[in-house]
Amino acid sequence: MSDVQDTVFGIIAKEASIDPAKITLDSTLKQLEIQSLDAVQIIFEIEDHYKITLPDRDPNFDTESVKGLVEAVEKLVAAKAATPAAQG
Amino acid sequence: MGAITTLGHTAQATWQEMREGRSGIGPITSMPTDILLVKIAAEVRGYDPAAHFDVKRLPLLDRVSQFALVAAREAIAQSGLDFRADGRGARTACIVGSGIGGENTHTEQSRRFYGENNPRVHPLTILRVMANAPACHIGIEFGLTGPAFAVASACASANHAMSQAFDMVKSGKVDFAVTGGTEACITAPTMKAWEAMRVTADDTCRPFCKQRRGMVLGEGAGIFVLEEYEHARRRGATILAEFAGSGASADAVDMVFPAVGTVARAMQLALDDAGLTPGDIDYINAHGTGTPANDPTETKAIRQVFGTHADQLAVSSTKSMHGHALGAAGAIELVAALGALQYGVIPPTANFVDPDPECDLDYVPNSPRERSVRAALSNSFAFGGLNSVIALKKAS
Repeated sequence: MSDVQDTVFGIIAKEASIDPAKITLDSTLKQLEIQSLDAVQIIFEIEDHYKITLPDRDPNFDTESVKGLVEAVEKLVAAKAATPAAQG
Repeated sequence: MGAITTLGHTAQATWQEMREGRSGIGPITSMPTDILLVKIAAEVRGYDPAAHFDVKRLPLLDRVSQFALVAAREAIAQSGLDFRADGRGARTACIVGSGIGGENTHTEQSRRFYGENNPRVHPLTILRVMANAPACHIGIEFGLTGPAFAVASACASANHAMSQAFDMVKSGKVDFAVTGGTEACITAPTMKAWEAMRVTADDTCRPFCKQRRGMVLGEGAGIFVLEEYEHARRRGATILAEFAGSGASADAVDMVFPAVGTVARAMQLALDDAGLTPGDIDYINAHGTGTPANDPTETKAIRQVFGTHADQLAVSSTKSMHGHALGAAGAIELVAALGALQYGVIPPTANFVDPDPECDLDYVPNSPRERSVRAALSNSFAFGGLNSVIALKKAS
């Protein structure tokens, strides 16, 4: 499990008050019964943790899997590491 | 009727733009947009406070109160009523909705305090920020000494305020009311807060269509004068329409996701209060925010209340043109409903691309339509699940 995956799972579990063991890369937020207000808080906590900005509607958290979210975060974290000066 | 919106600085100018189907949504001009992901809004543009207010008075007036006063002046001038004569002021309620209050002042003073480490906060901050300030300023300017207060119910504030005013006139507690809604909260922190919620569109507002991506924040005010019908008739007043009834309900389920049943009940209660049947309604000014959740829910609720007559209705969301002005929304939308009743023109749902199978009513896409309107509903539904609907009849 990558660091990012670990962190994202932790944030999802905390914000949605669910058991981290329930979360897999293939679960969708819908399957995890995460409401829209919890979803935006999850995104906020991830963005705030990494100081990144996730795209507005991609990945689509209603239908796509946690994997999509983890990959999007990994990509942004890598891009940030490559150009530290460009990040605020 | 008075208004100041992104479409114009008067109700008449606002209506002219609405009836042409022109949208006022555009790039934000009042602040740098580098930090914003959503760089569009329906701002009141070309507005110079000094053209409306004495420089000595301006320090007391947040933008939200300025808008309310500009709209109130237009409405009261049109009514022809002098509230300082014949003891009228004491028989007049002043009830003005606002979702947020003096947000520009709040933002500016917070920036000084936190951003500049400046411990001196402006001494009039409290008087500018408080949500009842707009109602108070209108009362002071026009001598209204009856019941006065603000109503706060987010996006339904104006409709709740006007419904409350209507009930007071109907019950005989007062003979007149000055009422509506006002909002001015297009500030960087507010925009960022809406962005974070992920309900705002970054292209434009496209209610009820497949390509809709959310709401677009607006600002402005709408203020109206309500008067007991016989009194208005006796004095030969120009009656714009009959405020026929109102209905309200609360979903009590979810803070953001609307519930069909209670939304429908608010519409049904407004019809019942007005003594109207579904078949009497020709036009609904929808809440129509353009979010994925609102538009199909509102569509289902309209079908539930109107049955087969739903297919005969013209339903439009003028938020596609004036944005979502939150606590002022219902008041600005009443300008649209009054225009439809008075002039027999339905203002369209602008920016409409392709139909969404989940939204299957006649939304009057893009082009205004000539149609005689006997009675209309104006819907407002707020975050928190608060629903407020107003029923209007053509003036007889």
